[in-house]
Amino acid sequence: MTSRVQVVALIGSVAFLLLVLELVRRRRLAEEYCALWIVAALALLAASIRPDIIDRTATWLGIYYGPAVLLLGLVVVVSAVLLWMSVVLSEQQAQIDHLIEETAILGAELREGPRPSRSTAPLSGPTDSR
Amino acid sequence: MRSSRTLALIPAHNEAANLAAVVAGIRTHRPDLEILVVNDGSTDRTAAELERLGTRWLGWPRRRGVGCAVRAGLRYGSRFGFDVIVRLDADGQHDPRDIDALLAPLRTGRADAVMGSRYVESGRKARTVKRALAAILSFVSRRGVTDATSGFWALGPRAVALLATHHPRGYPEPELHLLLSRNGLTVAEVPVRDLERRGGRSSLTPSRLLRAAARVLLAIIIVPLRQRISP
Repeated sequence: MTSRVQVVALIGSVAFLLLVLELVRRRRLAEEYCALWIVAALALLAASIRPDIIDRTATWLGIYYGPAVLLLGLVVVVSAVLLWMSVVLSEQQAQIDHLIEETAILGAELREGPRPSRSTAPLSGPTDSR
Repeated sequence: MRSSRTLALIPAHNEAANLAAVVAGIRTHRPDLEILVVNDGSTDRTAAELERLGTRWLGWPRRRGVGCAVRAGLRYGSRFGFDVIVRLDADGQHDPRDIDALLAPLRTGRADAVMGSRYVESGRKARTVKRALAAILSFVSRRGVTDATSGFWALGPRAVALLATHHPRGYPEPELHLLLSRNGLTVAEVPVRDLERRGGRSSLTPSRLLRAAARVLLAIIIVPLRQRISP
């Protein structure tokens, strides 16, 4: 028997999946970031269609209260995404730092003329950031 | 040692009142040095002052912190063929007469980087917080650090190559000790004079100091854990 909550969960999961796909289609979500969200949407969809997956997972993990598995999954996914976003932010900050400094040096080169030839090798890699 | 080109690097944020005297001091005592001022998003007349002084300069419109300013200056120095860089503050607290003493250990090959300490041999005592910080840095870097927050440094070719890409951001001086030590560079300390700030106000407000302290404590844990950087 299909319960009301199952129908709501199913509609919500399909809407979430469609939203992710639409964001990808409109190029507002880059490919490298969409994979995790598509997997999350599919996992939600699977749990909506077959709620016994949650109970079986709970039994396997030794959790007595089935819905706690959903909360656990949510916490794990959100934590993983936040960590990933922090990595992406750090990389972007390093790239922005690098660009600002390169632009400033380029401005100096335009004012002062080209740099001397004995040290023309550019430093490799973007700026390190904490 | 082959002859080296030396650059005096001055990071500056809203230091229009002090820059002329600092630049004049360097030109008087070490006329052979090229001078680069990095204007870190100043909102006063620093930019106009730089045009008037005729020094080399870099700049950007918004403040990014002294660490970023120094890193950009080191990157510039490295690109323009300077293998030794002396870093001084723009507020006039560092005496250009001490530059010779700072460069001596680099010239003899005794160190990769030299820090001007306001406390070694002077008999002066730092404030408790700074003393505690110096003690922690000494312990972590396994080297005697007497002045954890000095911004008066001379950097040799190895240090310039490393720091042009990896100089710490934010409030960088304490972290600099850790970074150099972690990557096997030798640091020497020489005594320097500590002059009064010439004018203007220090940008180190209490809240900024608190954030800096938190960041330094974090760096004490993080930096020794980080992979060594291959030159």
